[in-house]
Amino acid sequence: MPSPQMPPLATSAIDPTAVRPPIDDAIIERTAPARVRARLEALKEEGFALLLDVGAADYPNRKPRFDVVYHLLKLSPAAASVAQIGSPQRYRLLCGVPEDDATVPTVSDLWKSADWAEREIFDLFGIQFSGHPDLRRIQMPVHWEGYPLRKDYPLRGPAREKAPRPDFALKSNIVSGTPPTGKTAQALAEQVMQARKEHGDGA
Amino acid sequence: MIGGISAMPLEPEVISRDGNAMVLSMGPQHPSTHGVLQIMLEIEGETVTKAEPEIGYLHTGIEKSAENLFWTQAQTVIERMDYLAPESNSLCYCLAVEKLLGLTDAIPRRAQQIRVLVAELTRIASHCVWLGTHGIDLGALSIFFYCFDLRENILDLQEAAGGARMHPNYVRIGGLNGDLPDGFLPKLDALIEKLPGRMRELRALLQKNPIFQDRTIDVGIVTPQEAIDWSLTGPNLRASGIAYDVRKAFPYTGYEQYQFEVPTRAEGDAYARFLVRLDEIDQSLRIVEQVRAALVAGPVMLDDAKVAPPPKETIAISMEALIHHFKIVSEGFRVPPGDVYQPVESPRGELAYYVVSDGNNKPYRVRTRPPSLYNLQALKGMAPGNLIADLVVMIGSLDPVFGEVDR
Repeated sequence: MPSPQMPPLATSAIDPTAVRPPIDDAIIERTAPARVRARLEALKEEGFALLLDVGAADYPNRKPRFDVVYHLLKLSPAAASVAQIGSPQRYRLLCGVPEDDATVPTVSDLWKSADWAEREIFDLFGIQFSGHPDLRRIQMPVHWEGYPLRKDYPLRGPAREKAPRPDFALKSNIVSGTPPTGKTAQALAEQVMQARKEHGDGA
Repeated sequence: MIGGISAMPLEPEVISRDGNAMVLSMGPQHPSTHGVLQIMLEIEGETVTKAEPEIGYLHTGIEKSAENLFWTQAQTVIERMDYLAPESNSLCYCLAVEKLLGLTDAIPRRAQQIRVLVAELTRIASHCVWLGTHGIDLGALSIFFYCFDLRENILDLQEAAGGARMHPNYVRIGGLNGDLPDGFLPKLDALIEKLPGRMRELRALLQKNPIFQDRTIDVGIVTPQEAIDWSLTGPNLRASGIAYDVRKAFPYTGYEQYQFEVPTRAEGDAYARFLVRLDEIDQSLRIVEQVRAALVAGPVMLDDAKVAPPPKETIAISMEALIHHFKIVSEGFRVPPGDVYQPVESPRGELAYYVVSDGNNKPYRVRTRPPSLYNLQALKGMAPGNLIADLVVMIGSLDPVFGEVDR
């Protein structure tokens, strides 16, 4: 959501992932939901055994609208020393997902760790993972409506966005005329002295 | 009704019964789940047959908030993900943004050294919290006080450097918030001197303790293949014998200049994870000592008024500095479009941000690779066939931080 003070740039990139050559050390590849599973299976065969992360991003003005991003690392279970591991290859597979058919085949059977990552994308972006054994919300409450990380989802939630922010300045003591209740230390000391006098306490 | 309170009997936590099997909800109030984790357990007697962690109790929408803040402001919420190692989060995010800005090589050397210093100190502090709470989970109460006393020394240093104990927001895009204050280095030297003795005490308390060994050895074994299948990283992966450490494999902010080892263990049980973390504290201390010895003088912030706010003292005398300051505070700076995946080795494993910029003054997308989430997920594979009491050990030995799991 662009803020009212700062209008978005006229030249704001519609697809930021495509504007310039990669600046990190991963091999980057684009694919589509129909081919993503075959690609990931092949990559796993090639030795990219560790699925680091599955993330997503929403580009409302682009077609396809969503990206599901797989980050892979070439790591072998036999690599027991730093020298053997060296600097393993990273791989980033971006899968463009159209809005009208936001479905991607699951890879939770290839990598057990994909389970929660895919649930989180379903929860926050509304992308379905076909074949997932337990596709339900993970971060948001079960009965939540809407997908919070989509760009068209209001920041403060749909119910509260309509109401204006409370004007805290109007609630201050000075504006509402409420007398201050706090006492200064000196006033308290005087009060104690007075009470002692009245009770005839010599101390 | 007695005194206005309903006298209904309390609902037992039993959800269904099927022969000997029973479904039990453990947490989120169970002490070992630290208040924010619920595990739906299927048990037969005391043996767990299935464990399904339910997360999201601490979901605060940090990734969404970050999209609505300036690049610099977003750091304040991002630091609150892993609240036990805030410097790891801010360092990782700053490195990612600096890569997008093309400023990676322009960061002053002193800033890089201090970044390593605070990152390693925060690792020691984080492992201290883990060790203390893990001990409490297993009924070893004394170690908690030893660990938190040690951690307090590090928090004092964090407070001196950044101004806050928990979320100092000290690492900034382009360098650091400010140079180390007077009196920081003597305090650091005192800590460096004190720490080896303290580590001996910590080891003496638990490492050879027969009760602790009974509770942790051969509990929650993860084989190397399983560790990779569950995408474990950090100490949990290294306790299964795979020596993958981002600091060695993909050195960042000058880690290649320091000598340290990557502790590994072959056993893959809870005791191995305990030993790996203790060894990591020793290695972190080694790095801290080396940084302390090699610390150079010089600036700690990039000299580029388009990204780094000009020093406060120049604002009163230079009109240009005032304008730059005003522009950075009121509308931030713009970052060239692109995407980047930046990993660092946080105390819990490979923490990474996949940051996308569309060329505006706010991050377009900040996707976290939360190591705790993946580490905790492995509980589904570890728990079946074990006792409920061992489940407590497994949760503790995985060291999840729920600010990061739920974000």
